[in-house]
Amino acid sequence: MKTEFSPTFLNTPDGKLANEILRTCVHCGFCNATCPTYQLLGDENDGPRGRIYLIKQVLEDKPVTQATRTHLDRCLTCRNCETTCPSGVEYGKLIDIGRKVVEEKTTRGFKEKMTRKALLSLLPYQKRFTSTIKLGQIFKPLLPKILSKKIPKNIKAGNYPSSTHSRQMIILEGCVQPALSPDINAATARVLDRLGISLIRPKNAGCCGAVNQHLSDEEKALDFVKQNIDAWWEHIQNGAEAIIITASGCGAMVKDYAHLLRDDKDYADKAKKVTELCKDISEVISKEDLTPLQTQQRQTKNISWHPPCTLQHGQKINGVVEKILTDKGYNLLPVNDSHLCCGSAGTYSILQAEISQQLQANKIKHLTKHQPEMIVTGNIGCQTHLQEVSDVPVVHWIHLLDN
Amino acid sequence: MHLDSNTQNTLLDQLSQIVSSEYLLTTTEALTPYECDGLSAYQRLPVAVVLPDNIEQVQKIVQACSNLKVPIVARGAGTGLSGGALPHEGGIILGLSRFNKILSIDTNNLTAVVQPGVRNLAITEAARPYGLYYAPDPSSQIACSIGGNVAENAGGVHCLKYGLTVQNIQQIKIVTINGTLLTLGSETFDTPGYDLLALMTGSEGMLGIIVEIVVKLLPKPHAVKVLMASFDKVEEAGNAVADIIAEGIIPAGLEMMDKPAIHAAEAFAKANYPLDAAAILLCELDGDEDQLEEQVIVVEKTLKKAKANNIVIATSAEEQAKLWAGRKSAFPAVGRLSPDYYCMDGTIPRKQIAHVLQKISEFSDHHGLLVANVFHAGDGNLHPLILYDANKEGELKTAERFGADILELCVEVGGTITGEHGVGHEKIDQMCVQFSPAELTQFFAVKSAFDPDSLLNPGKAIPTLHRCAELGAMHVHNGELPHPEIPRF
Amino acid sequence: MKIKDNDISTSLQQQVKSAINDKKSLCIQGGKSKLFFGNRFDAELLDLSQHTGIISYEPTELCITVRAGTKLSELEALLAENNQILPFEPPHYLFTDKDGTTHNTATIGGAIATGISGPRRAYTGSARDAILGVEIINGDGEIVSFGGQVMKNVAGYDLSRLMVRSQGTLGILLSVSIKLLPKPANDLTLSFDATQDQALAVFQALRVQQLPITASVWYNNTVSLRLSASELILKTSHTRLNTFLNDKFPALSSAKADNKSTSFWQEIRDHTHPFFTLTDKPVWRLSLPPATQSISQIDDAIAQKGDAPEPSQLIEWGGAQRWIHSRTPANIIHNLAQSHGGYASFFYNKGADDETFPALAPELFKIHQQLKRKMDPHGIFNPNKMYQGL
Repeated sequence: MKTEFSPTFLNTPDGKLANEILRTCVHCGFCNATCPTYQLLGDENDGPRGRIYLIKQVLEDKPVTQATRTHLDRCLTCRNCETTCPSGVEYGKLIDIGRKVVEEKTTRGFKEKMTRKALLSLLPYQKRFTSTIKLGQIFKPLLPKILSKKIPKNIKAGNYPSSTHSRQMIILEGCVQPALSPDINAATARVLDRLGISLIRPKNAGCCGAVNQHLSDEEKALDFVKQNIDAWWEHIQNGAEAIIITASGCGAMVKDYAHLLRDDKDYADKAKKVTELCKDISEVISKEDLTPLQTQQRQTKNISWHPPCTLQHGQKINGVVEKILTDKGYNLLPVNDSHLCCGSAGTYSILQAEISQQLQANKIKHLTKHQPEMIVTGNIGCQTHLQEVSDVPVVHWIHLLDN
Repeated sequence: MHLDSNTQNTLLDQLSQIVSSEYLLTTTEALTPYECDGLSAYQRLPVAVVLPDNIEQVQKIVQACSNLKVPIVARGAGTGLSGGALPHEGGIILGLSRFNKILSIDTNNLTAVVQPGVRNLAITEAARPYGLYYAPDPSSQIACSIGGNVAENAGGVHCLKYGLTVQNIQQIKIVTINGTLLTLGSETFDTPGYDLLALMTGSEGMLGIIVEIVVKLLPKPHAVKVLMASFDKVEEAGNAVADIIAEGIIPAGLEMMDKPAIHAAEAFAKANYPLDAAAILLCELDGDEDQLEEQVIVVEKTLKKAKANNIVIATSAEEQAKLWAGRKSAFPAVGRLSPDYYCMDGTIPRKQIAHVLQKISEFSDHHGLLVANVFHAGDGNLHPLILYDANKEGELKTAERFGADILELCVEVGGTITGEHGVGHEKIDQMCVQFSPAELTQFFAVKSAFDPDSLLNPGKAIPTLHRCAELGAMHVHNGELPHPEIPRF
Repeated sequence: MKIKDNDISTSLQQQVKSAINDKKSLCIQGGKSKLFFGNRFDAELLDLSQHTGIISYEPTELCITVRAGTKLSELEALLAENNQILPFEPPHYLFTDKDGTTHNTATIGGAIATGISGPRRAYTGSARDAILGVEIINGDGEIVSFGGQVMKNVAGYDLSRLMVRSQGTLGILLSVSIKLLPKPANDLTLSFDATQDQALAVFQALRVQQLPITASVWYNNTVSLRLSASELILKTSHTRLNTFLNDKFPALSSAKADNKSTSFWQEIRDHTHPFFTLTDKPVWRLSLPPATQSISQIDDAIAQKGDAPEPSQLIEWGGAQRWIHSRTPANIIHNLAQSHGGYASFFYNKGADDETFPALAPELFKIHQQLKRKMDPHGIFNPNKMYQGL
């Protein structure tokens, strides 16, 4: 595609990258076919090809208003389009740049600003978020429905194993997951313990930075990123085999650290190492001999698997969890449109509630079509989002190995 | 060409009473993503984009435009490669993307009723549980809409055996320029009166707006085999195609790719294409198991005789899907080789394949631009992709000249300038080469029977005699220069 | 097969130009085999039967370009030498002269202009599906070409397909290019007894079975299927058909090979079968969605009038084409066909004023008239043949 960037912008790292990405796009429109918002709204401006065009206009210094920003806001960043794109356009990276520039060039209304600020000052901070959820759980009956349904039941983490193995891996605790579903990492620790692996839970690590990154607050995002790298570094030097992520949304972000800090002279090398070591839990489990996990007869058999976008499109991990579960004797029911986003998409379910709910309704219809006993997924965001409207339990798949 | 501001204001006012503001786009910012379709080399901004979601709205929109004499360009998924949905500066884009529902599937008569914005592949996906599918499968089938397929008479890799869109639809509903809803064709095998369904198919949105389609569905073949043969010489692959047909076999698909195309497709699809081959042929055979067995033996023998140096037979569905994935994504995958490409669509008699490929490679040297060849070899439909960089001054012009040379060559050897992508905006000048003034006049006569004020997609597909005369690219019939009264420049 | 190469396009063009000058209309005629098809009208004869010959034919291109007056019998013989066929198996209706002698004179031009397809149509497509290009004399007396000789061609409006079934009302066909198919090695006819309801149910179930069927008929409580393939495949297909019948239709007996097959299918194709020749009752053709249930109302009407209980229906194309003998008034038959989503045309034993085709919806007819006026501005080609006022 032809681009006409100003030479000043073209010489910045963002300008150079955006130009490279735009020039791989041949405008074929395949991406629209798998874009959840284009499928719902039918406006070119609400599909990847149109958004790429909008971003191109902004980067070429054409006038921009909140209309463009709205269309970019409506993007779920599910990156389904990247999976579909034969030309290899790195849309995820382009929209980050586009959002950043549009944020600078347009002003949001007061209410919108406040909501985004509130999310940014709450979600990434584990302690703040946990206490908010705790309060919410107490006062749930008093809250308006739109909020109350977002607050999950109080879940106990369960025990962490006490034994220590020579094989060690770091686990990312994250920010919202410990409050919403503390049992996921505990179960992961127990499963890995039986496979002879111990988990390190570094104290100073926190949010992966994705919340800020996707709300166009790159500066703060990079603070989180560096904080995590600092927290992990000594363990990496001591021979930790991997950095395990149990929420695929965080995994996609951590795998991007090398890219985000590519021009940072202090952190570029470390970030590269972190990205190399970063593994979704499914990648770790699939490489292990799972014989130690053979256990008693289990009750659950028929399940629906919801592959999170950050796993299938962001990290391009397909068929791995499916194989682990099938090998363990679970029957994965067929699910239509499993490539489409459930509408959770980080803060999207709050900021774009209407579209999010339509996607949620479509998703749950497909997931429950063949009456599963349980829906399993691999990302805390999808899990809580789907649980809101699901009559059957929605759990992280790692629980199915923890019994 | 632009609308005067009075008309524009009246138009927008009327349109705003038909669709909600969200579906009436009027700012430059929102219109720009609609300035081109799948052919991004040409852009124009429309006055407005309207996105209705029911037939009544379409009728009202068309009536409003018709009364005000405002041009209408219909647009489906915007994946066309000939600029058929390129906007008109003084007109609107009538987007049918919200018409995206499959209304019913009739498993007794093997048909489906679908709205025009439904994606081609979505029909097959919906029919799959019944063991049925929709046969025409253009490479963009994941994204292209069935309405666009009808408007362009889209083909695909399975045309040789199963036909183009025109052979695979039974009925359409159209809104005429005066807003009338007409049903053309029927759910039976033929319909009284003229075959207006056929006339409408491939008419590039110039005779009516397609708002509903009844497509034929076919039972999924019991068995499918895909053979991939690699060749050291492009000509040998070309000759192998005629040899297969001469054996009395009509493959379901018979496709060819040359080296650059193989490399680009392999990078995306990882289909295990042989990277050292000069060309590969993909041959799909289908039917019941016994018939297939017989055919595979014959084809394999024929390919060997035609000097194929390696033949792979994919029997599992996954292996076959992989081989096809590379072919189907070959166009955009070429985006990995070059920032821009210009896709040609000529069709030639099969026997000319080797000759034409040789000439294309000479043109490539002459113009200094690389070319990747991907094509439906079974039906002689070539898709040379001319690689260029739009950011480089003058390269688009060179690519256009190169393209024109290829198309004129196709006409010269007894073929046509477009097999399935349509003429659109892109190939309009080459129409002067393929058709005589009398023939072009005949096309205009047909157009005026449906659209006397020429408001539906004006300026596309059929060049005016004037345009042809100015180009000097006039079709010369029996050595006489036609219409000497037209001034030439 | 040697076909006489005789290009008379210049003299035909001259005749058209004179007709335009003299404001005379023309009656376009080839082998006279389908004179009954359409309405009668007065006009000067334009005879295409001498405009014959093959313009180009290369078997590996799967295409032949042939002059309109070429006889189907000669064309098909030539194709057979190269193991190829016309996919739509056009009927050779016979022309009966004043002495009562019949002649096999049907031409390819007539087959295309009327667009009538034969038994194979339901399986390998119609005349309109097979057409690739045409050369015509247009309404201004000019010779113009549309389409071409290649399989795929979307340059310009599809005027070649528009010519099919337009019955010479939009232009005079000089030559046509047609897509060909390889001729299957062998044919096998399999027959079994079935009532009309059973036959329709079998046809319905067979639609998704993928047997190499190339023709189907139900007549006189017998289903006949023609299968075309290699000897070996025919053998296995016979077994598969019987297994299928046994599984799905246990009440039916198994299908038996029928050795008088070739003449049978020719009789069905050419309407020399007794069903068509031995009746003085009106013969109607109903074109219906193939899965339409049996249409018994028409039979009932006959029974009430005390007609002989001879078989009054012959079904082809897996249910999509049904031939009916019936004295039921035309409007009732038209309504009946329409109520099932199809239409009826009046084929044989018509009265002088009976129209062949059902009326078109007014808006649709208006478009037909506009198109006719644009394509034939002087109104000289077969006026009123399809419809009064067209």
